[in-house]
Amino acid sequence: MMHAVAVLLVVGALAVSGCASSAPTRPTARPFDDVRRLTVVVSGESQFAVLEHSAEPGRTFDQVLAWNPYGAVLKPIADIVHQVINWFVEIDRKADAAAELRDVSPRALVARAFEETLLASGRFEEIRTLHREPVGDERDRSNVVVRLSVPAWGLVRVREGEPDLLSAFADVRAEMVARDTGVALWKDSEDVTGPERFPLKTFTGDRQLTRQQLLDVLERAGRRLANELLYAQRAGR
Amino acid sequence: MSARFRAAFLLTFAAVVGPLGCSRSITLDVGYPDAGVNRAMLAAARPRRVDIRPVVDRRADTARIGVQRADGDKPIVTSRAVADIVREALVSEVQKNGHAVAADNAELVLAADVDEFWLDAVAAYASVHYVGKVALSVAVVDARTGDTLVTRRYVGIRRQQAKRDDKQAGLEVMDIALSRALHDLATDAELAEAFGARLPRVRHL
Repeated sequence: MMHAVAVLLVVGALAVSGCASSAPTRPTARPFDDVRRLTVVVSGESQFAVLEHSAEPGRTFDQVLAWNPYGAVLKPIADIVHQVINWFVEIDRKADAAAELRDVSPRALVARAFEETLLASGRFEEIRTLHREPVGDERDRSNVVVRLSVPAWGLVRVREGEPDLLSAFADVRAEMVARDTGVALWKDSEDVTGPERFPLKTFTGDRQLTRQQLLDVLERAGRRLANELLYAQRAGR
Repeated sequence: MSARFRAAFLLTFAAVVGPLGCSRSITLDVGYPDAGVNRAMLAAARPRRVDIRPVVDRRADTARIGVQRADGDKPIVTSRAVADIVREALVSEVQKNGHAVAADNAELVLAADVDEFWLDAVAAYASVHYVGKVALSVAVVDARTGDTLVTRRYVGIRRQQAKRDDKQAGLEVMDIALSRALHDLATDAELAEAFGARLPRVRHL
């Protein structure tokens, strides 16, 4: 009996000491957690687009080809015709929608919102935005660079219906790099969509509204990227 | 009709109709995994006791979160109530940021409404373009005085192109839309200030 109690006590003590010896897990610090000064470099081309992701005329081609004995052979040709027709339609609608946007620089607007959101967080002491890579004295002020680009922006179909509804969108990318090592510290891509939805006719008919929606979505894209950086950056207490 | 024939007929009927009944809707297990939650701006405030009230579902249509038109207008539903999904996500964020979630002796009350929780599937020629949207209204109230400290709105939207037969895309889209709304909340300087964080002067955009 005494032997059993002793064994139980030893096992219990070992179990307790095992628990006590395991140190509480601490989140691992990431290399950009302590970054307080940033240089934002806007880069790349920005393509304006009206993305309707239309099922027609390809769907109609498929229905016709289903009855054709050479359907399988003609299918790749029908696919190309579908793409070409939609490409021409897109060019036409793009011209209408983008008429009042010649002075808009998507990258500059995204970068401004990105910078302002990071500064408002209180986590950063200094952020500068450049439209080219830093040179000379600029290189000494911050060892960390965020390269920011807006590969695509414009209007996208977001709901099927009569009529279909579209929203403004911006696809944005950011990469934080330690300049002296070239190591990427953080990377993010965001598909940003405006919360409001309108028929295409509203966008093409009201250029002021289109402009406002697009400016808003670019600002939203800058904030989104900044929020994801802040979220990834470990908070100190 | 003999009893044996009737039994065979009923079994066949059940075997045919049963699966049809099961697939009358598409169910998505939308969630906000705890493992992906980080300490963000809310961690800048000293630890508070927060009463997170039951989330109010203010959507016009609370029975579904979308319709799969390419699949005979099947309703898309969540496996758990949308209000519960959102509340669990809020609890996760608040706790991970070092605050205690408790109704008794609470210093702050966090009240949230779901304004939108919807998945659109736009059929393209060879693919489907999914758009998920989650819109939440959040208010932080001083539990002692009853004063509303801040009222905010967070909208998470995700767009994703997927193959027609991709069964996971809709779920991924809603998960990401929810996480974007929650990340915006967790990094909101004004919300952090309502929790008691002292930040430099906030510049409103």
